[in-house]
Amino acid sequence: MNELLVQFGIESRELVAEASDGLLQLERSPQDAECLDRVFRAFHTLKGGAGIVEFAAMERAVHAAEELLSEARTGRRKISTALVEGCLAGLDQVGQWLDALESSGALSEDANDRAEALISRLAAIDGFDKKPTTGIRAAKPWVAALRARHSSRGDAITAIRYAPGADCFYQGEDPVARIGTLPLLSAQELAPLNPWPSLSELDPYSCNLVLMALTAAPVDSVRAHMQGHSGECEIVDLTSASSTVAADGSIFPRARAVLQSQLTLLMEGAPKQFQGRVSSAGLTASNVLRSMRRDDDAQTVRHATDASLTAKSSEPLRRSLERLLAPDAPMPASPAAPPGPETASRTLRVDAQRIDALVRLTGELTTAKNALIHTTAQAQIEGLGLAAGLTGLAAVFERLIGELQQSVLALRVLPLRTVLQRFPRLVRDLSSTLGKPVTLYIKGDHTEADKAIVEMLFEPLLHTLRNSIDHGVEEPSVRVERGKPVVASIQIRAARQDDRVVIEVEDDGAGVDVERVRRVAVDRHIATEEELQAMDDAQVIDLLFAPGFSTVATVTELSGRGVGLDAVRTAIERIGGDVSIASRPRHGTCVSFSLPFSVMMTQVMTVEAGGQRFAIPVEALVEILRVPRAAVSGVGSAQVLVHRERTIPIIDLAGELDGTREPSPDAEEFIVALAAVAGEFIALRVDRVGERMEIILKPLEGLLEGMRGITGTALLGDGRVLLVLDLKEMLS
Amino acid sequence: MTVRTPEAELIVLEGTCPSEEAEMLLQRLLATPEAVVDLRRCESLHAAVIQVLLAAKPSLQLPPTDTALGTWLRALLLPPVTD
Repeated sequence: MNELLVQFGIESRELVAEASDGLLQLERSPQDAECLDRVFRAFHTLKGGAGIVEFAAMERAVHAAEELLSEARTGRRKISTALVEGCLAGLDQVGQWLDALESSGALSEDANDRAEALISRLAAIDGFDKKPTTGIRAAKPWVAALRARHSSRGDAITAIRYAPGADCFYQGEDPVARIGTLPLLSAQELAPLNPWPSLSELDPYSCNLVLMALTAAPVDSVRAHMQGHSGECEIVDLTSASSTVAADGSIFPRARAVLQSQLTLLMEGAPKQFQGRVSSAGLTASNVLRSMRRDDDAQTVRHATDASLTAKSSEPLRRSLERLLAPDAPMPASPAAPPGPETASRTLRVDAQRIDALVRLTGELTTAKNALIHTTAQAQIEGLGLAAGLTGLAAVFERLIGELQQSVLALRVLPLRTVLQRFPRLVRDLSSTLGKPVTLYIKGDHTEADKAIVEMLFEPLLHTLRNSIDHGVEEPSVRVERGKPVVASIQIRAARQDDRVVIEVEDDGAGVDVERVRRVAVDRHIATEEELQAMDDAQVIDLLFAPGFSTVATVTELSGRGVGLDAVRTAIERIGGDVSIASRPRHGTCVSFSLPFSVMMTQVMTVEAGGQRFAIPVEALVEILRVPRAAVSGVGSAQVLVHRERTIPIIDLAGELDGTREPSPDAEEFIVALAAVAGEFIALRVDRVGERMEIILKPLEGLLEGMRGITGTALLGDGRVLLVLDLKEMLS
Repeated sequence: MTVRTPEAELIVLEGTCPSEEAEMLLQRLLATPEAVVDLRRCESLHAAVIQVLLAAKPSLQLPPTDTALGTWLRALLLPPVTD
């Protein structure tokens, strides 16, 4: 796939996410004009992108949705649930097309049919708001206020309200001078468009001004003066009773003349020149419109030209031009300027593979540094003269590489927003499918974590949310009986706690039915009656994570997709995380995820056994003990250690990992590393305890892949390979 | 350079003040929020510079009312009087 398509795919996905986000917000607060603008811009850019890569079907479909939004912006249409759903359906379709694009490099074959289906669905959406149509013609309140403030200026016949685009200064524009040089200016005012930020946050080059003026010049000459402006401009004729508003981008006289002449051209001429005439008229008209930054209209004209050519009739193009020339044609406002160049220049989109390459290189460098430190130590032992200098140098390397590593890892950091922002939409759909109204609150979505962590979180969190809505949240009638609000709430809270990222998903539903979990655990032979009797509620709830557990009698389409909570736990644990459930009967359930901030660095303690070095993850290590022979007792072939009134099984590391080696000879004293895994203790008998170090853990590959008891490897400074123990597997 | 700071609490804008000077003016006003801005020797001000003045609302010394610029700047920079 070529570079352009790749970029198109990336950008389109971002735009789809942004637009869905905005649509959901819009559904909650339909009056939020800023949000509507954002959604409109996203659709507009999406359409533009599709046009560039020539995906006509997608372009048409997105255009249809954009039209609706544009009508909503001008107040001619209400933001209704149908509108939001129609636009969301459009985004879903775009998402599917992007999937197809990624896998095959082209839109699916039925793209045209799908686009048409979507367009007719969107066209069927009612909700035109009749009132504001008249509102456009009614005198604007700003006009009345402006005239009142300058009542002495009786000679004014035209009022102007001009909000330049935020980036107009970059385009060399001076809006104040432009208004100040209006012919026959009689009054001028300046006001901030949005309230001023604090001075320290003011961006002097982002225009935040609204300019208003009264002039004795006629509307036409004012329009000519304002030609080519950026942003939005309203010009009101004070002499006409109806005070018609020339919305932004109204057609200027010269352009009007050109369009008019194309229309005349279409009406006459010999039939045999039909094709050439329609194409050139259409092209000229669309170019004129584009020169006025009226891309939408230019596109409409282009489509009309195509339609004319296919139908062999000038009718569609003629009608389209006539519509544009109609005196009261409702003109969609041109999209506001994209976010300032400031944001654009401060971020850089880099291919994730390049970052990964950088991470790998830094890893290699760390290994080289460890080798240097090792060599330096050798030099010191051998008393070489250079040792002191080398030691200093090694320390410098250590510090610099440490910094480099941190910077590189920071490149892979993403805010959790990237994954969390998909959930409002999904929860909305789930909630309507199940008929359980739910509001999702997200807190702390700015919390950052390594890309690998953020990206793998989607499935587990989705599963948790599904469970919450399906099993946790009660039916609305039950909620009413229990005196709870009918609309359930689910909160996702994310926060950084030291080097962990903690995410909690809490609902205000019924909580976990512990008795039922007990029953099911027995039925499915997950635990025996006796085992269950010894368990407290928390331990019973933890059984939900046991493989093969599902408390629903009939597997619903929603939660039962063959993946249980055990899959969630496995996925989370694979990246060094942990997941647990806390429940309060009738009050709700809280699922907590605790994840490492980064998957890269692992703190380990090295130990030696049978001449081989191993590493134990420090997070599992409890303490290193010297145990007298007497404290160890044999139970059958196994040995146990009684320590602080606990009986702990001893695993002889040398024997365990290499069956051919004889277990370490009995000695007066044992050295054991005491570790805790999932609340259970094991004691690893070792020959020697090494040092604590930070390693970049590499998963086992190739021949070693299936090796039990080893989770991964790391390269040591002296070139040897360090095997990192998987204590969990050793325990099972 | 047309933005000068001859005294600690005085910022003087002279001649033609293009958009590039908005940043400089903003920095000085941030450093000395109480500073008086003297526009008496100004010939023209770019919208970006005017925007900084509107946002910061410093005390101003404006050109005399009988000059075109003086009238214009008063209309722009002093809050409109409602009848």
